Order: sequence, then C-alpha cells, then structure tokens
Amino acid sequence: MTTTVATQGGIGTNAQRPDGALKARGEFAYSSDLWHEDMVWGVTLRSPHPYARITSIDITEALRVPGVQAVLTHEDVPGTNIYGLEHPDQPVLAEDVVRYQGEPVALVAADHPETARRAMKRIEVAYEVLPPVVNTEDAAHGRAEPLHPNGNVVRHVKVRHGPQDVRADVVVTGEYEVGMQDQAFLGPESGLAVPADDGSVDLYIATQWLHADQRQIAVALGLPPEKVRLTLSGVGGAFGGREDLSMQVHACMLALRTGKPVKMVYNREESFYGHVHRHPARMYYEHGATRNGKIVYVKARIYLDGGAYASSTGAVVANAATLGVGPYDVPSVTVDCWGVYTNNPPCGAMRGFGAVQAAFAYESQMDRLADAVGLDPVEVRIRNAMSEGAVMPTGQVVDSPAPVVELLTLVRDKPLPAKGNDLTDMPGGVSNTTHGEGVVRGVGYGVSIKNVGFSDSFDDYSTVRVRLSVIGGQAVASVHTAAVEVGQGLVTVLQQITRTELGVDVVTIEPMDTSIGDAGSTSASRQTYVTGGALRAACAAVRAALFERIGHTDLPLDHDKIVEVLGTDVIDEVVEWRHRPTYRLDPETGQGNAHVQYAFAAHRAVVDVDVELGLVKVVELVCAQDVGKAINPEAVLGQIQGGTAQGLGLAVMEEIQLADGKIRNPSFTDYLIPTVLDMPPMVIDVLERPDPHAPYGLRGVGEPPTISSTPAIVAAIRAATGMALTRVPVRPEHITETS
Amino acid sequence: MKSFAYVSARDVPTAVSAIAGSPNAKFLGGGTNLVDLMRGNIEQPDTIVDITRLPLTGVDLLPDGGVRIGALVRNSHLAAHPLIRSRYPVLSQAILLGASAQLRNMATVGGNLLQRTRCLYFYDTAAACNKRAPGSGCDAIGGFNRNHAILGVSDNCLATHPSDMCVALAMLDATVEVESTRGVRRIPMNEFHVLPGDTPHVETSLAADELVTAVELPSVAVAANSRYRKVRDRASYAFALVSVAAALEVTGTTVTQVRLALGGVSAKPWRATKAEEVLLGAPATEESFRQAAAAELAAATARPGNEFKIGLAERTIVAVLRELVTKGDAA
Ligand SMILES: Cc1cc2nc3c(=O)[nH]c(=O)nc-3n(C[C@H](O)[C@H](O)[C@H](O)COP(=O)(O)OP(=O)(O)OC[C@H]3O[C@@H](n4cnc5c(N)ncnc54)[C@H](O)[C@@H]3O)c2cc1C
Ligand code: SF4
Repeated sequence: MTTTVATQGGIGTNAQRPDGALKARGEFAYSSDLWHEDMVWGVTLRSPHPYARITSIDITEALRVPGVQAVLTHEDVPGTNIYGLEHPDQPVLAEDVVRYQGEPVALVAADHPETARRAMKRIEVAYEVLPPVVNTEDAAHGRAEPLHPNGNVVRHVKVRHGPQDVRADVVVTGEYEVGMQDQAFLGPESGLAVPADDGSVDLYIATQWLHADQRQIAVALGLPPEKVRLTLSGVGGAFGGREDLSMQVHACMLALRTGKPVKMVYNREESFYGHVHRHPARMYYEHGATRNGKIVYVKARIYLDGGAYASSTGAVVANAATLGVGPYDVPSVTVDCWGVYTNNPPCGAMRGFGAVQAAFAYESQMDRLADAVGLDPVEVRIRNAMSEGAVMPTGQVVDSPAPVVELLTLVRDKPLPAKGNDLTDMPGGVSNTTHGEGVVRGVGYGVSIKNVGFSDSFDDYSTVRVRLSVIGGQAVASVHTAAVEVGQGLVTVLQQITRTELGVDVVTIEPMDTSIGDAGSTSASRQTYVTGGALRAACAAVRAALFERIGHTDLPLDHDKIVEVLGTDVIDEVVEWRHRPTYRLDPETGQGNAHVQYAFAAHRAVVDVDVELGLVKVVELVCAQDVGKAINPEAVLGQIQGGTAQGLGLAVMEEIQLADGKIRNPSFTDYLIPTVLDMPPMVIDVLERPDPHAPYGLRGVGEPPTISSTPAIVAAIRAATGMALTRVPVRPEHITETS
Repeated sequence: MKSFAYVSARDVPTAVSAIAGSPNAKFLGGGTNLVDLMRGNIEQPDTIVDITRLPLTGVDLLPDGGVRIGALVRNSHLAAHPLIRSRYPVLSQAILLGASAQLRNMATVGGNLLQRTRCLYFYDTAAACNKRAPGSGCDAIGGFNRNHAILGVSDNCLATHPSDMCVALAMLDATVEVESTRGVRRIPMNEFHVLPGDTPHVETSLAADELVTAVELPSVAVAANSRYRKVRDRASYAFALVSVAAALEVTGTTVTQVRLALGGVSAKPWRATKAEEVLLGAPATEESFRQAAAAELAAATARPGNEFKIGLAERTIVAVLRELVTKGDAA
C-alpha cells in the first residue's frame, strides 16, 4: 500500500490527513482486517491464576480436535524463551510458573477461530495455586515473596537535590492513590504472520515500535533479525499499550510451525490481558514552604506497581522521580520512587508515563499549600513556577522556554462559563438525576511538566529515507521510515515537512517496515521531534544533492526547477539523526542531564457536583499548552482534546478493578471510558515558544494535556465539595463520603 | 461457544412446543444478552428457539384504560410509543436511560425482563458463583461487590437485577402474561423476579418452558406525575448504581397516592412498600421523605464495597419525591 496525496500544505498548515477520510468512512484497513488466502487462526491459552506453579501441561486432547494445525507450549519456543522491552524477564510462554492472570501458556492454530478456541479448552494445565503478592509497599521493602531472581524491586530512583532535611514554617502532607488505568484503544491487538520458504517470517502487525519488536522476536525465535521482517498494519490507537509484545512471537511461532499464514485477533476481554496498563500508584508527599507560599522543600515517596514483569517500569520510575515535584522551583528535593514486581497485571507505558501519577500528588499538594497559606491556587503556583534557566531536581538546567506562569495566567483569565440549564449540562446528564437542585460549582487548576523523547542516556535516534524523482512530469518525494502512525497524524506531519523542505506537493509515505533502520518508538511524544528531525535532515541531504547538480546553492527550490534539474534521475538519501545526548541519572543522587526536552500544559476545570448523589459534570475544560511550533495546528488541538479526555477518564471513572490480582472488569461494559456526554467543550490556547535545540523549535505535544487535566478536575471537585479526595478515579461514594 | 440447534418459530404454539420438547432450550429475543452469555460459555443451550418472528409486537389500549405490550416489542419502540409517553412517562424514561440506542433497537420486552445479572463473577467462568454453578460459592461476597445488592440478599448471592425498564414496571404494578403447552398464566410483576435465598440460579417464577407473551399495565392515574432517576458512574451507557421510579399525588399538603420502586439494589426490581406505607397520608415534606426512605432501607445489608448504596438510595428517593412535589405543584 502506498499513499499518494496531492494536497497542498507545508508545516504550520492544517494539511489534510491522508488517512482521515478513509477512517471517517470506515474504509481504513486496520490490522484486524488482515486476510491471507489459506491462513489459519491462532489463539492463546492464558493462566486463570495470578500466581501459580505449573505442574504439567497436556496437549494430547487438543491435538485430536479436527482442524487443529498446531498446539505449542514453552517447549516449542525455538530461541530464548524470555523477552522484555527494557529488561528481558518475561517468558514467551510460561514454563513452570505463571505470575499474572492472563499470562500466555499455550498456543493453538486451527483452520477456524472457533475450532482453535475449542481445542484450547482441551489443553490440560495442572496448576498449584499460590497466594499472590499484591501489596506494592511490601514488595518494595522486602516484605513479600520474591517473584523474580533479583527480588521485587525493578528500580528504585533516588533524587537528592539541594540541602537535605531542611525545615519550613508551613508544612503540608498528603497520601495519594492512583488506580490502574487502561489505554482502552479501540482496535484490539491483531496481526498476521506469513512464513517464507527460507525459514524466515513476515509479520504484519499494529505496534508502536517495529524494531524493538523485531529484536525481541528474533531472539525468541532464534533467528537473525533480518529473517524477521515487520510491516506496520493499520493501528487503532496505542497510548503506550502496544509498546510491549503481545502476540508477535506467538503468531510467528505458529506460522513457522504450520507453514501457513497465521492470523491472531484478541477480543476486548483478551485485550485487557494482552497489554500493559498504567502503573497504579501510592504516594506520600510533604511540602515545606514559607508563610508566603514559597516552596522550601519537597519530600516524596512514590510506589508504582509494575505487576508481574518489568516492561518499561524502570523508565516510568525515573520519570515519576525526576518530574515528581512538578514544574516548580524547589530548592530542596528528596524523592524516592520504587517500581516493583507483584502478581498484578504488568504495567508499562501509557500516555504520560509516570508523570501522570506524580502530577496528581504534587498538584493536590499545591492546593493544600494554597489553603494553608491563604493563597489562591493559581497564585501559589505562579509564585513557585519554574521558568527558562530553572534548575531541575536532577540538577539539569532548563535551557529552553518554560512558560509556566503564562500558561497558568492564560487558563485563569478565561471567562467562567455560565450555569447551564439543559439536562445534558447537569451532573448525571440525561440520567435525570437533578435539575440543578443540590448542585455546587467548583473550579480547579492543574499544570504539568513532561519530558519529551527517550531519556537517561538512551541512544534516541530515527532513520528516514527520502527519494526524489519525477513521475509523469511531476516531482514526487517519497518518504520511508519505520516510525509508525498510530492515529496521531505522523503521516501528515511527514508530508508537511517534506513539502516545506523540498517544495514538492506530492509526497508519498511508504509502508512503515523494518527494511529501513530503526526510528524508535511512537511514544514519549517524540516522533514529530525525532523522526521529524531525521526527515528534515534527509530532505536537506536531498536538497544538497540537487544543488550539487545545479552547481550553486542559493536558489529557491520550486517544482519546475526540480523537474528540470532531475530529469529521469532519482535522488535517494538515507539519514540517521539523533537529538542531543542525555545522561544517566546518578544512582545515589538522581543527578544528571537525563532529559532532552520538557513540555508544559495547564488546565482549568469547571465542574458542577450534585453533592447529594455524588455525581460530577465537568462543565468546561480550558487548556493552554506550549508546543514550540505547531506543525499542524488542528492535529495539535486534537491531541490536546484527546489527552484531556483521557485525563478526565482517570479523574472520574476509568479504573481496572483488581481483586487479589484478578481483573474484575475486562470489558467496555464494566471498564468505563468517557463518552461525548462526559467530555465538555474545551477552550484551548496554543503557545509557540520555540525550543532552540529542537527541529523547527517544536515540542512534543501528546502527553502533557493528559497529565494536568486529572488534577485540575479533582481540584474543582474538591473546591465544590470541600472533600479531601486523595484517590482517582473519584467515585460518587467518595463525594458523598459513604465509603 | 457450544454448538446448538436453531429453530425459528412463526407462532406461539410452535414456539412453546419447540421449547417443551427440548429441556435445555432458550428463547432468542433481541439476543443482546443471551448471545453475549453464550459467547462467554455462561449460557450453553442445546437449542435456540428464535421468537423474533412471533406476532407479539403490539402496544394496545385495553378497554379498562390499561395498555397491553407484546413481548417482542423492541425497547426503543416502546419508549417512543405515544401511549407510553403520555400515560406512563416513567416507563419511557426508564427504558431510554438503559443501554445504548443500538441495543434498545434490538432488545425486546421479554428479553429485558429476563436479562441476567451484571455481577462480574457471574461472567468469569473461573470464579465461584452460585448463580452460574449452584453450590460453587460466591466470590462477590469477599471480593469486588461495589455494584451489588443491599436489599433481599442472601449468603449465597448478592447479585442485582440490572434492568431499568423493570423498575418502572414494578412501580406500575404490571402483570406478565406467560404461555406454555400447559396454558396461559398471569404473574404480577412483583412476583415475577424472586430473591436469591438458597437458590440464586432461580431468578424468576417463570418455568423453563414458559414464554413471556405480553406485559399489561393497569390504568394508573398517578403515573402522570412520575419520574425515573438513575444514578450511575458515567452520563450515559452504564448500569445503575441506584435508580428510583416514583409517582406521587399530593392533595393539599398530604400525600394521597404514592408508588415507589428501586433499581440496582436487589435481585428484583424492589417495590418500596415500607416507604409507601410511611408516606401515604403523611405530609409531603422533606422530613416524611427522609423517614420513608430510612424505613425502606432499614432492612438493607451491605458489604464494605457497596455500603455507599444505602445512603445513595435514601438520598435518591428523597430527591425524586421532592422533585415530584415541585412538579406536581407546577402542573
Ligand atoms: C453493553 C450493554 C449495556 C446495557 N445497559 C443496560 C442498562 O443500562 N439498563 C438496562 O436495563 N439494560 C441494559 N442492558 C441490557 C439490555 O437491556 C438487555 O440485554 C436486553 O433488554 C435484553 O433483551 P433481548 O431481547 O436482547 O434479550 P435476549 O438476549 O434475546 O434474551 C435474554 C433472555 O431472555 C430470554 N427471553 C427473551 N425473550 C423471552 C420471552 N419472550 N419469553 C421468555 N424468555 C425470553 C432469553 O431466553 C434469554 O434468556 C445492557 C446491555 C448491554 C449489552
Ligand atoms: S453475587 Fe450471585 S451472581 Fe455474583 S458471584 Fe455471587 S452468586 Fe454469583
């Protein structure tokens, strides 16, 4: 599939998405639509227990089911039966122990999915069930049975900044909790593996990072990476939940064993078991300040539940720790953050990546501080807000704009919305719960900081190839990269940058696959920055090659000129591009230039609360965010709205309910995500303060709005009710204090 | 999903004899609940008798002023029907607050009556559940039971009946007409669903071979001043934590007629007779409303996870009654 679009539009315009109309019409091919002649269907047998020893696996009966092509267990894993995004600790198929409910144990391929499911039920697995470890703090402090050889601490990051053990006139403390949130992407995991005659395999898959998948699959299959080729298939949302492997190795194993293309598709329930979630958190905070509300110190202990396997817990911990005091100047910081193993579902990347949990705590603390010193919540934030040149708790100097004060002022100064009188404006909405009686309004604020790109000395780069040729008298640029489009609009941004850099209208985005070098993950708000940077550099190389042919370099490039100079030639440049290096955090003090860029957003939330019934209507959300440069202004608004909605979900309804390590609500009937009736209209200000170190001055956009909307909404509910509300999601019984 | 035989019935006698002949058969209405349960292997019928072609789709005015509703009337059609909207607004509201437009377009009256609980353990075949597997235990009791019942529970089951429509039907004293090869029976709504006791797998007084053919609503003048309120975690498309269907007539300052039923709190739509007793003849004041609500919920038993429902139910009752007084005055 090659997308060719002749829309006008370089950077800074609202260029049309090449996939937009297809998606709106329902014609876009998602990975679940993949089809291959002669394909068979794969299914996964999963552990019903959060923690158990496997004493035997008997596949005899399953193999007898007519139509079954293969039944595989850990014994059939051709390479190393262990993988992991940052740290290999997870078996492809469980051997003698299962560590979470839903852990894959066996695979079946059959000529019909129903046949495969029936055969799967005939696999006999004998378990010796063990009591699960579910308490994060016990796990962190050696009070629980070790689930992995090196104990239960995946990572402990300490941040020690400024003088320690200082005192202050005003002290506010708090304990906060964040429930487990799901990415809830709409397109469940799906993929198709096609075996080749030479023992290699092609995998078509919805993922966030083709090369990280390739590396892990190759090890598990015992193949050299070039024998595992990946091509991106249509992705129905990701939000971090596709950064780890789900079925990738499984589908390839079944394909290589059966010699047939194998398709796997999870249903919604299986999807809840098939990907990592946002780390639940328990956080203890103490802020010391002067009577004027200037912060003197912050001490925090943060516990993140990483669940059964490491996934990206290490990096999430580093984020929560280094961003743990928020976008404020704090002269003395003492933060300890633990990410631990338990028998809960594995947790890893989700939009906001560690910053979300910490922000709920530090912003709640800022409101407590405002109360304690008798200041307005915005005023106390402004008095402490960081700005360019500030020193982070890691010692890193913020060397690009940090317009925190401006963002706060913008959201504060928007006129407040009038009281609604339509039923849909009321708490409970069309449920008829109130017509305004017992309804109290509250206003709250939140501001966030997020690192953009990979941190902590990770070699963060992207590879892009640009080919310029003339086809039918028309100059055409084609862009090839392994950076994946997950719905955020990368394909549009790549077209826009190419148009601006090369002056051609027609830009083809080639299929995203592993036949080109690594582009890194579509996560950490990084692709426009890193792959955008690589593309700009690749375009510069193409331009240089063109100029060389012309013989001078000071001409503006236009279409006709390119056609004239190029003739039947093709210019083809591949560039690998990296941003400034980052450095490792010192393990004892957490000091180091660990992040490459910071991004900021602020929210104001206005809520109406039915205090009798505990129902909340978020009436309006105002957001201001600095994006450095809006490459596509409408796409920026889309990110801000979507991120804000996800933050709203965490604030008032989204939570994976766990009981003894088991997910109790693995469906969209029981795991609630906001609908259009829950999400209010937004007023958005986009600032463009260029970062001199970034391509076009841009800043990553996707994550900051998710981070600050949750605390703003909860602050507004507190303002309306006077309740402490230290846990998200806030439920009716918390507001009415009946639980 | 288990394999099953499929039979399509064109008339009631065929439907009831089809089911009489096969002990483990199920009627298929809109399928919005049954098919989900079959997919999850919670229901495993041998035979499906498709009744969607039965001529039970009328909504008709009866000579005594009541209304007869065919069992195959779709939920959306019923909610929009002028007879229902004008005479029983509470029923129309209750239906419209349930599920989603797409589901209501498929769901039938009979299926809505017989829809099964949303207890999360009932849906998880690996969990102990007396309703799904009698005698296996009840994982909800010591587990996640925030959505569970507080009235009429037993030590064997805490499940709720999830229907909104049924709460309004209970408040309106509807009658369910059922038919089998043995003939026709009429079951008062309040006796249709049964409390769990020692047999939580028995949910209704309907025999396995009986077909719901119709629901009849008596003429209820007070229903003109009626209201359904549903408290839930999200503004649309979520089951009730607590709901209240109420109708009220106040003469002077005295309550002269009252009907009250609760949803989300019991294995059946809960007719709040104790509260009705307290209210009838009492002054229509906030004070009486509170007393009535407290009287009804005095018998409530909760677990730590669903304790909040007691207070929530009380406040919701008071809020609805308060609103009906104001509304009644205005009318
Ligand atoms: C996501 C979701 C959200 C929902 N939210 C709500 C909500 O908020 N409020 C609410 O009230 N409901 C809700 N529902 C439930 C919905 O109302 C029911 O699924 C629907 O009413 C069932 O009707 P049906 O015709 O599809 O029944 P079916 O699925 O066809 O049948 C259900 C049961 O009734 C039996 N049956 C059907 N018709 C007859 C008959 N005439 N005689 C005897 N037995 C019969 C069947 O054998 C089966 O056991 C929701 C459902 C879903 C899937
Ligand atoms: S409450 Fe009832 S339905 Fe739920 S697990 Fe217990 S017995 Fe089963």
